[in-house]
Amino acid sequence: MNKNKQVIFQSVLLDGLIFTFVVLSLLVYFVNPSEDQLLMLSRNTFLSLGVFAFSGVVVFLLNSKGIHTIGHILFAEPQLSEAVQEDVPWFKKFWGIELIVAFIIAFYASFVVTEFSFYELFSESGFLGAQRIFSSLLNPNFEILPRAILAIIETIFMAFMATVLAVPIAFVLSFLCAKNVMSGHKVLFAIYGTIRTLLNVTRSIEPLIWAIIFSVWVGIGPFAGMLALLLHSVASLAKNYSELVECISEGPVEAIKATGASSLQVVWFAMVPQIVLPYTAFTIYRWDINVRMATIIGLVGGGGIGTMLIQYQGQALWNEVGCLVLVIAVVVWVMDTGSAYIREAIK
Amino acid sequence: MSEPILEVKNLTKTYSNGVQALKGVSFDVKQGEFLVVIGLSGSGKSTLLRCINNLHQPTGGSIVFKGEDITRIDGAKAKKVRSKIGMIFQHFNLIPRYSVYKNALSGAMSRTSTFKSIFGSFSKKDKEKALEYLDLVGIKEKAYIRADQLSGGQQQRVAIARALTQSPEILLADEPVASLDPATCHVVMDYLRKVNRELGLTVVCNLHFLSLVREYADRVIALKDGELVFEGSPENIDEEWFETIYGDAAKEVHIN
Repeated sequence: MNKNKQVIFQSVLLDGLIFTFVVLSLLVYFVNPSEDQLLMLSRNTFLSLGVFAFSGVVVFLLNSKGIHTIGHILFAEPQLSEAVQEDVPWFKKFWGIELIVAFIIAFYASFVVTEFSFYELFSESGFLGAQRIFSSLLNPNFEILPRAILAIIETIFMAFMATVLAVPIAFVLSFLCAKNVMSGHKVLFAIYGTIRTLLNVTRSIEPLIWAIIFSVWVGIGPFAGMLALLLHSVASLAKNYSELVECISEGPVEAIKATGASSLQVVWFAMVPQIVLPYTAFTIYRWDINVRMATIIGLVGGGGIGTMLIQYQGQALWNEVGCLVLVIAVVVWVMDTGSAYIREAIK
Repeated sequence: MSEPILEVKNLTKTYSNGVQALKGVSFDVKQGEFLVVIGLSGSGKSTLLRCINNLHQPTGGSIVFKGEDITRIDGAKAKKVRSKIGMIFQHFNLIPRYSVYKNALSGAMSRTSTFKSIFGSFSKKDKEKALEYLDLVGIKEKAYIRADQLSGGQQQRVAIARALTQSPEILLADEPVASLDPATCHVVMDYLRKVNRELGLTVVCNLHFLSLVREYADRVIALKDGELVFEGSPENIDEEWFETIYGDAAKEVHIN
């Protein structure tokens, strides 16, 4: 019955959160608290936890009475008795109503929070602003074009360098964090777990943040941007690569092992040939992504055209910004199309 | 038919999920014979072969290969033993993107240092050997074609050449013709017989079809639910034995 307990836990957690969200949203709507009240973190946390505990109990009671919540539908094994009652449409079942109510509330709340306003979008002063910026952007100042080209070359090389350096590192790591390679021994599995976790943490921190860190470490400029991209590329490529390693066919592996080959020989002869093409495709795609990211990273001091863009934007020189935007768009479009063609060709 | 090259005693294998694939199997393989293992899918035939070359670790019992106990070995020792035991598979298990020649040559891996093999530098002798065996299985003229361009039967012949390049002392064949059409089936089996007779290589072969067993086997053992239920010459498998091995509902299918 361990499985059963797990289902109850998962369901109470998920539905508890949904219920808590619904209750708290309604509370905010009807009580309409002041900003001071919203900023009382400890009191609000206490209140939320209270609502969550209460919701959990309600969910548990509902499920034990046979009224199925979303969590139960998602996590529990389907029962024959439930399959037979299929004649009730989903939106009339409890979980259907729960889903609809939660979605509508979330949608309404997002309207309020993002200050969505048709008035500002289409008002006269709004239009004037739009007109001003578009007319400048569409009349780019080509005087800065030579410098823009130099800057984008810097950006492209930043991305290229980051990708090239990331490939061998990710290649080695991909085998160390592939389940089928590392599941033979406890020590291997521990290495697998550690590397996986480290990569997940690295990947969950945006390259933008890494760029800020490195720009303090090595100083503002393309080197900081390259390091940020490198770190992110290693983490992403290792994940992509290791997934490829995990779905290779076991037959050749077994056959090469049976010839008396060493583990490295098995990897090189039976695994690598199976993954080298998809590896290449992922790598080209990564370079493509890195060029775009390098632009963004430049905004926080990572060098290249992004840094140039933020300087002109800060001075509201929209005609110059227009020129930069054009250069970026052309390069991204070329990279995108080119990499798509190459990836198609090597499939 | 002299000394046993392989002695299997009381071999058991229980998988980690609790499935008992082998429940105490004992038999000998004599030097130079063509031994066929028959039995239903799931009777433990494949597990048996994989225990012999240590791709799977047996749970109990013993395997003696040329007077040496190889039941519980690992690391360098296991690699050494595997290099002396060739194996071919139902799905051929070639490296699809490599040439026929490179596939055959990969049988020489255990004699080549890891460093050299990674740079594709095999000894002249091994290269000659690979070509010689490709010639033996009649596929030398396709040596530089990619393995995945070949038909199933041709791929299996390359797999035989790869196993022979190992210079094995025994050849294990795990249902070598199960995914081939009847005509190709015979071609591949004929090559296995050729290897057995001309090179004097001992062959242990898993098979499904009794008609093939009668044609190619010197001796037969039969497995049912992980136990040995028959051992003898192929002519001795009559209707009654057939039903014991394959169950009452079974009907014999002939391949011509």
